[in-house]
Amino acid sequence: MDSSRLKGRPSFPFETIAVAVAFSPKLEAIMHEARQLADNFKAKLLLIHVGTHTAEKEASLAAICTNLKINREVRTVWAGGDTVSTLLETCKQHMVDLLILSARRRENVFRYYLGSVARGLSRRAKCSLLLLTEPKVTGTSFRKIVVDCVEHPKTIHALNTAFYFAEGVKSLDIMAIREVDQSGLAMAMSDDSTSGERTRVKEQLIIDAQEKLHELTSGRSSEKPAVQTAALSGRPGFTIRKYAEECGADLLVIHSPDGRYRLMDRIFTHDLEHILEHLPCNMLIVHARIGDAT
Amino acid sequence: MAKLQPNDLVTLLLAISIILILSRIASEIGKKIGLPMVMGELIIGVILGPTLLGTIAPEFYRTLFPFAENSNFSLALDAIFSLSVILLLFVAGLELRFSLFLRHGRVAISTGIGSMVLPFASGFALAWFFPQWFSVTGGGPTHLLFALFLGTAMAISALPVIARILLDMKLLKTEIGAVIIASAVLNDVIGWIVFSFILSMVGQNNGHGSVVLSIVSIAAFATFMLVFGRFVINRILPWIQTKLSWPGGVLALSLGLCLLSAAFTEYIHIHAILGAFIAGLAIGDSVYLREQAREIMHQFVTNFFAPLFFVSIGLKVNFIENFDLTIVTLVLVLAFAGKVVGAGIGARLGGMSGRHALAVGFGLNARGAMEIILGSLAYEAGLINHAVFVALIVMALVTSISSAPLMRLFLEKK
Repeated sequence: MDSSRLKGRPSFPFETIAVAVAFSPKLEAIMHEARQLADNFKAKLLLIHVGTHTAEKEASLAAICTNLKINREVRTVWAGGDTVSTLLETCKQHMVDLLILSARRRENVFRYYLGSVARGLSRRAKCSLLLLTEPKVTGTSFRKIVVDCVEHPKTIHALNTAFYFAEGVKSLDIMAIREVDQSGLAMAMSDDSTSGERTRVKEQLIIDAQEKLHELTSGRSSEKPAVQTAALSGRPGFTIRKYAEECGADLLVIHSPDGRYRLMDRIFTHDLEHILEHLPCNMLIVHARIGDAT
Repeated sequence: MAKLQPNDLVTLLLAISIILILSRIASEIGKKIGLPMVMGELIIGVILGPTLLGTIAPEFYRTLFPFAENSNFSLALDAIFSLSVILLLFVAGLELRFSLFLRHGRVAISTGIGSMVLPFASGFALAWFFPQWFSVTGGGPTHLLFALFLGTAMAISALPVIARILLDMKLLKTEIGAVIIASAVLNDVIGWIVFSFILSMVGQNNGHGSVVLSIVSIAAFATFMLVFGRFVINRILPWIQTKLSWPGGVLALSLGLCLLSAAFTEYIHIHAILGAFIAGLAIGDSVYLREQAREIMHQFVTNFFAPLFFVSIGLKVNFIENFDLTIVTLVLVLAFAGKVVGAGIGARLGGMSGRHALAVGFGLNARGAMEIILGSLAYEAGLINHAVFVALIVMALVTSISSAPLMRLFLEKK
C-alpha cells in the first residue's frame, strides 16, 4: 500500500481503528473498548499482534471476539519483529487512523529510562494513539475530556479531533486548557520591578492565554459537550497532568510531539514526558499528519 | 576563635549599609532612564572606590573601607563578597532549564551552537595569536588559560538581561523569545562549566594529569547532580514544601544544598561557583519548586548580595587609571562581531528569516551581570590584568544597553 497517501490525511474521521493485541490480562477489556469505539465511529477494526503466531493465541482471540460479539469484519495481522517498529509499519500499511493500546499509569525507574512500547509509539506514530490506563469490560465512559491547547500549529487539529471524539462517545464536558509557562519571569523581574508590575505582567500573560483559548473555542456548539476554558500557570506538561488528575478527567487530549524524544528528554523532563511518566487518565495523542512524508 | 573587634564590626556594618543604600538609590535613578540595575551598582562602586573617593578624599576612603589597614575587616568583607558570588551563580542556575533547549529542537540547537562556537573561536584566536594586544605575555604559563578565558567570556550570555529585554518587548513567550532563551541556556551552562575548568587549572599549576582530573571531576559532579541529585530533589521537594514551614523549609534546603555543593567543588579543587551553579540547575529544574519560592530566592540574592558584589568591583579597581581605549575597542568589536554573526548564522541555519536571525544575534549579545561576575573571578584568579577587566565591564554594559534597541530595529523593520 502506498503509505505516502497518509500525507495531509486529516486526523479524523476514524475510518480504521487498530488494537495492539498483547495477550495480557487486559486483552478482553481492551477488545471491548475497541469494539465500542469502532461502533461509535463506524470504523473498521484491525487487530495487530506482534509476536509468534500460534494456534492457541488464535483460538484465544477468536473466543474473545465471539464473546464480545464482534460480528463485523475484523482483520487480524500477525507479525514478528520489534514491537514498536512493526506496529508502526502495520498501521501505515493499513491506513490506521487510531491505534488503541493499554498503558501503565506509572512507570518504574528502569522502564522510565529505557522506554515502554507506549512511549515509543507516542513519539513515532503516524496515526493518533489512544492509551487506555484501565480498560473495562463494561466500557469506559469518556464524560470529561481535557484538551491541551498549548501555543502550537497542531493544537487546532488536536482540539478539532477532541470535539469529534467527544461527539462520537457522547461526552458531557470538554475543558480547553492553556498552560502559561512563567519560566524567566522571576529572573527578568527580580531586581527592578515593583510588586504591582510583577502582578500586572503575570495577569496579562493569563489574560492573553484566555483570549487565545476563546478564539480557539468560539463558534462551537455549546449544548453537548459543554465547553469550558482555563489558563493555568505552570510548567507545560506537568501542569495539565496535575489538572487532569485533580478534576477527574476521563481523557486527556494532546497533540503529537514534533520530533522524537530521546534519553536526554527523559533526564531533563519536559512537555509530553511529564505526562507519560505518570498518566493521569486515558490519553489521546492526536497526530495531525501535517507535512508527513511517510 | 578570632573575633571582630567592636570597632571593626561598626566599620563593616557601616560599609555594608552605605553600599546597600547608595546602590539602591543609584539603581532606582538608573531605572527611570532605562539603565540596567547593575550599572547603578557599578557606578556607586566607582564613586566609593579608589577611582573617585580614594583620589578626592583618601583619608575618608581609608576610614570607610580600611582594606589595607585592617585585615579583620578585609577578611570579613571578602567572605561576604565570596558568598555573594556563590549565591549569584546559584540563582543564575536556578532559572536555567535545560529542557527549554531540548524543547525547541533544530533552531535552538543551531543558534545555541552558533552563538557559542564563533565567539569562543574568535576570542580564543585573538588572545592566542595577538596576546600583546591585551598586554599579555605570549608563551607564558597563563597564555593558554587567558586565551581559553577570553573565548569563554565572548561566548556566554546574560540570561536575566535577555529575559528582561524580551519581557519588555513582549517577546518572552513567542517563538523568537523562546529560541533566544533556549540558546542563552546552552551558552551559560557550557560557558560556566568551561570557566570552572579554567579556574581549576589556574589552581592546579597546569600539569597534564590535573587537566584530565579536572575534566573528569567536573563531568562526574555535573552528571551526579543533574541525574541522581535531581531525582532525589524531585522526591523530597514536595514533602518539604507541604510538611515543613513555608517558605523557611524550602529556602533552608535550597541554600543549604547550594553551599554544600559549593563547598564540595571547592574541596575537589574546582571553583565553588560550579557547585552553586549546578545546585541551582538541579533545584530550579524541579517541577515541584513553587514559583513563589524561586522568586523569594531571587529577591533575597539580587537585592542584598548582588549590590554588595557589584559595588565591590568598583572598590577593587581604579577605572580611570586602567581604562585602555585600544583594549576596550578590541573587546567590544570582538564581542559584537562574534556573537551577532555566530548566533545570526546559527538562527538562519535553523530556519529563521535573515531579519529575525539578526534580532536573535543582538538579543544574545547582552552579557550583563554574568560577564561582570566572570571577569571579576578571572581578575581575582590572576587570569587577566586590570585593563582587560575594565574592558570586559565596559563591554558587559554596552552590550546590555544596546541589545534592546538593536533587536527592536530588526524586528520592527518591514
